[in-house]
Amino acid sequence: MLLVGLVTRPAVLCCLDGIEKMTNRYLGDSFLLPALDPDNKDWFTSGQLHVQFCNHCDAARYPAEDVCFQCQGSDLEFRAISGEGVIESVVEVQHPVHPLLADRVPYNVAVISLNGAPGCNAIGNIVNSDEVDVSIGQKVRAIFEEATDPESGEQLLIPNWKAI
Amino acid sequence: MNGDAVVVGIGESEYYKRGGSEETEFQLAMKAISRAADDAGLELSEIDGLVSYMDNRNDPLRLSSAMGMKELRWAMTPWAGGGNNSAAAIQCADAAVSGGYANYVVAFRALAQGQFSRFGTHFSGMTNAAGPHAWTHTYGLISPAQECALQTKRFMHDHGITQQALCDISMACYANAQRNPRAVRYGSPLTREKYHESRWIVEPFHLYDCCPENDGAAAVIITTPERAKDLKGEAVPILATAQGIGPNIGIDSFQGRWFPGMFYQGVGEAIWQRAGVRATDVDVLQMYENFTGPVMMSLCELGYCEPGELQDFVADGALEGPDARLPFNTSGGNIGEAYIHGFEMINEAVRQVRGDSSCQVDKVDLSFAVGGPGYAPGSAVLFGRD
Repeated sequence: MLLVGLVTRPAVLCCLDGIEKMTNRYLGDSFLLPALDPDNKDWFTSGQLHVQFCNHCDAARYPAEDVCFQCQGSDLEFRAISGEGVIESVVEVQHPVHPLLADRVPYNVAVISLNGAPGCNAIGNIVNSDEVDVSIGQKVRAIFEEATDPESGEQLLIPNWKAI
Repeated sequence: MNGDAVVVGIGESEYYKRGGSEETEFQLAMKAISRAADDAGLELSEIDGLVSYMDNRNDPLRLSSAMGMKELRWAMTPWAGGGNNSAAAIQCADAAVSGGYANYVVAFRALAQGQFSRFGTHFSGMTNAAGPHAWTHTYGLISPAQECALQTKRFMHDHGITQQALCDISMACYANAQRNPRAVRYGSPLTREKYHESRWIVEPFHLYDCCPENDGAAAVIITTPERAKDLKGEAVPILATAQGIGPNIGIDSFQGRWFPGMFYQGVGEAIWQRAGVRATDVDVLQMYENFTGPVMMSLCELGYCEPGELQDFVADGALEGPDARLPFNTSGGNIGEAYIHGFEMINEAVRQVRGDSSCQVDKVDLSFAVGGPGYAPGSAVLFGRD
């Protein structure tokens, strides 16, 4: 299935530090930004995929939780994992439920299983769906959308996905 | 459970399109409750318990006062979630009367989307993606339709299910609504062509895979079999109820080992174990369809068929009409009758046992109603003859 977007998708820039970044966001630069909190700060700012792991039993958990679901321990840390994953499901959204999406439909949303974090599936967009056949089972690699946190002025690097 | 509590009256307001009610939500609630009391032959003031669910706005202080209650002895809502709790509300009322904490408990749901817009402004007013929404809203995953679509897409992919199965489920709701003058979609039949030509909301959901938003209220009165003997209303036993959820946190979670799913296996096992019957023994099913896709997964998880059999299980009108292979959403359901967050289906399940449905199934001994799938905790209730 080829998911075809009606809007021009952003240019991709490759940076010196080896992290693939996008200067524009897939859903538009004015679209909702994540409100940073201790559980999501690493995910949205580090330029790597950081997932919560339990230091006692090594269970991975996404999104983060205060207590390990497997051993009930609370010695938890965020660890960087590989930037690759697999599409577990992907849909095309045609009806915009937010005014900022009115001129962005259709857009895709995918469930991505994260390599290196067993059992963890993240939500994201496949940013190059105009160019590549996007379907369940497709391998993807993280790409980071640059934005600025309106509260702190801190740079955000929002993980998203490129089909490879 | 096991007939220690019975439904002795049902009532509902008129059902309207979203924003169509000129009455306030509180007035709609009172209308449904009053009609249920009339149906039971009970004075409103004798009612001493109130149960609702899903951030109910019609709180017990206002209601007990408006109803002229002598004493309010039981007021509660099941924890969290949304329409998943429609049957859990029955369980709470059952627990109250069978445990002796209250004599006559109303379980109800009321909503006026014109007065309190649930969607639309709720989403469009958002200015950032905070808390648990940061992980999803940031990526444009915002609505329940989108969440359920991701689950449904993978389920269809894994089991070779086509769009036709979704169409079959929607068609059954619309066909049954044509028999029901209360239904908002009464007089608006759906054809396969119209279904497939309708716009996509989020693939694989067409417009007709999604239930509408409506205004209205529905209520039931629950008491003990002994008290029911003194009332004119027909007593319909509550044979079993269950609430719960499988591992993890439901359809807005997509975690690997449990994706895709509606997490309803445990609710099904509890119901069948408590009642001593199986899914296939049930005469008529009301199953919450916020969207058609979750119905497919719920049918499988509750024991009706295997995922590989689903396509055929719902095909060829298998769910349509009183003589269907599995009579399903006989009043039209959320899609066809009205989206009273699944409570209109509780009334219909009771009606099927009483024998006064507009799509009445012959010889109903077991009438099953299933609350909204996927969110925690899910719930279901089995009514029937002792």
